Amino acid sequence: MSVQLERVSFRYPGAAFDALREVTFECAPGCVHLVTGRLGAGCSTLLQVIAGLAPHVTGGSRSGSVVTLGRDPAGSERHDLAGRIGLLLPTPWTQLSGMAYTVAEEVAFGPANLGWDRERIRQAVDEALRLVALERVAARDPRTLSGGELQRVMFAAVIAMDPEVCLLDEPAMELDPAGAEALYAHLPVLARERTVILATTDLDRAVSAAGRVILLDGGAVIGDGNPAEILGTPRAVETGATTTVARIASLAGADLTYPLTVAAAVERFSR
Amino acid sequence: MTLGYRPGQGLLHRTHPLTTAALAGAVSLLAFLLPGELAPWALVAGLCALALVAGLVPVLGAAAAFSAPFWGFLAVIHGVFGHDLGTAVVLAGRITAILTVFLLLLASVHPGRLVDAMLARGVPFGLAYLLAATLQAVPQLQRRATAILDAQRCRGLRVRGSVLRRLRAVVPLTVPLVLGALAEVDERALALEIRGAASGTRRTPLDPPVDGPWDRATRWILLAAVAGVAIWRLWP
Amino acid sequence: MSALRFEDVWFAYGAIPVLRGIGLSIEPGEAVALLGRNGAGKTTLTKLVMALLHPQRGYVWIGDRITQGRTPEQVAARTAYVFQHADQQLFARTVLQEVAFGPRQLGLTPHEVEAVVAAALRRVGLDRVAHEHPYDLPPAQRKLVTLAAALAQRPRVLVLDEPSQGMDAPSVQRVADVLRSLASEGVAILAVTHDLTLVAEALDRTLVLEDHQIAYDGPSAALVSDDTRARQLGLEAPAAARLSVRLGLPGHPVRIAEAAAALRVRVAGDAAGS
Repeated sequence: MSVQLERVSFRYPGAAFDALREVTFECAPGCVHLVTGRLGAGCSTLLQVIAGLAPHVTGGSRSGSVVTLGRDPAGSERHDLAGRIGLLLPTPWTQLSGMAYTVAEEVAFGPANLGWDRERIRQAVDEALRLVALERVAARDPRTLSGGELQRVMFAAVIAMDPEVCLLDEPAMELDPAGAEALYAHLPVLARERTVILATTDLDRAVSAAGRVILLDGGAVIGDGNPAEILGTPRAVETGATTTVARIASLAGADLTYPLTVAAAVERFSR
Repeated sequence: MTLGYRPGQGLLHRTHPLTTAALAGAVSLLAFLLPGELAPWALVAGLCALALVAGLVPVLGAAAAFSAPFWGFLAVIHGVFGHDLGTAVVLAGRITAILTVFLLLLASVHPGRLVDAMLARGVPFGLAYLLAATLQAVPQLQRRATAILDAQRCRGLRVRGSVLRRLRAVVPLTVPLVLGALAEVDERALALEIRGAASGTRRTPLDPPVDGPWDRATRWILLAAVAGVAIWRLWP
Repeated sequence: MSALRFEDVWFAYGAIPVLRGIGLSIEPGEAVALLGRNGAGKTTLTKLVMALLHPQRGYVWIGDRITQGRTPEQVAARTAYVFQHADQQLFARTVLQEVAFGPRQLGLTPHEVEAVVAAALRRVGLDRVAHEHPYDLPPAQRKLVTLAAALAQRPRVLVLDEPSQGMDAPSVQRVADVLRSLASEGVAILAVTHDLTLVAEALDRTLVLEDHQIAYDGPSAALVSDDTRARQLGLEAPAAARLSVRLGLPGHPVRIAEAAAALRVRVAGDAAGS
């Protein structure tokens, strides 16, 4: 198992409530693990705990056991994990290194910090930019890119480090629908050999990419299983963490389990 | 008028970042050490010539724009009320010289190259990044400030008119600037950490600046000039 | 008299043309979506409304006044703008103080300010977090704060830039409900958005900017149920519309509630049949 959490609770400094409560689950490569819930459920915090950034960078207090790639990511051995965990945040411009004058330099920032040789860095950058179809902007100033292009660049920056665990927090928020579709279509491929954990409320698009859903509410896990059995239920509809099609089916009085996609609904309700 | 790095191939762009940084330090010290009311202005004239040679003349406009409020303020305080225009001239010259040389540094030094140059000298990554990021903070804040000004004006904030009105505008303009910058710092810290910035491994310089003999000689000359003037002025 | 009108408006950034001969009018109570690819000029058009920019040719009218010669703070008396990124404006220590800022600037009395702020917070569902620090709220809720702040200005024209970005489905629904109720009160709404679900739920008319001009000006329903046309614009028809078309639901409803009602008939019919 790449990621193991056992009864993990976390509270931000000065907060009145825990952001995560007694969270327990495991993740391994093989499918995309989708973490979702209503706003404020704790999905972003969960990714940061898995990465060790909470509490190491954010401050706060954590209880329970977090083991990522065999180590506590916030503990004294976290340096062993450098470059092995990738994290993509929702807002691309806050992830810019501030040191790169071209897109290629930006993508190279992480590999350079890991001390890779220049040839290896160059190959990793080229491949990552090819993956996100942005080779043509390699020489441009990242600050001149649109929000969507920049987010794809930051995705490339994560991939270029070749991490074993990929944590993606609302990776498509700045992307147009075509870009979002392309990104979600790629995730299962990425997940074949890496542990990919995706946190998003964009369920209409993300559900097709997910092999497993972990549903959070108020920082606690209230569901863990395959997408149909977790998102196609009245509970998911109640929390608002489900797809539009499932909501329509629920409102229409359909039997459980609610279909999650247009294709599934057509199969179920077509005459 | 945008601040920040301007790509180019001029004299200062080709100079080693540490040499440009040394120039900034030297000018700042000499502005205080050199005697006479016009000495700082001689430094300013030298910097103007340098900007012309280096293809960075637009930076002089920015320097004048930032310095001008100080000239006015000093002229009123020392010139009109203090009846000591000489002091006003000296202080204005010092501020202008220091602002000008730092704006030239900002415009000609790529922050990544500055970090690589410092790392090559053994400066820890955290400190090197902090210095480079501080330089970048000004243009970033400037871009953010423009966006904030637009947003608050659309909510009815009046920014022109009486002194009292302008003072009232300070909080709704500066607080989002600071809070937003701090929130961004928080998120950037997360991103930097996960991108290996604190990995402890020696970073691979992507485009290491060449530290040629002219750069090293220039730095020695600057050091000698500052030391010489200091000894001359401070020796009893 | 239109709430908002563009009369042959031309605008360029230096030598780069952005808008060419734009003519449109939005009546009180109309809720209009502004669509177009990145770089089409949508944000520029909204900045012209707020007098942050002025056209090089043509006129922008807000009610019976043109924006030329006026400043954003003057235009704010009738028009409010919800920016894409909430953090550009949040500065107060509490949500309540933040929302009160605009009405105070516009000269409302303390009593009036208290009333409009309470109403605005209730409307967007933020009354329970009125005393929290805005930066302690998640990003999507901060956007709702800026929406409340705009509502508190009691605008006759409301301009929004990506109002549902980053929001979960219940929050998008809330924004849609707010916009629909504002429109029913006579507020003219212009929303830049990529979210066709929001368009379907709340914005009955759509303008599409393409090649610096308005390429489409018509009912949203026709556009949102046409997935091919939506994809040409880099968008995607909302799930409710796609479902309606694929299932052949009567009337091809594009809104969630209407699609559910149409589907309920079929589900009930199937249950009776079996």
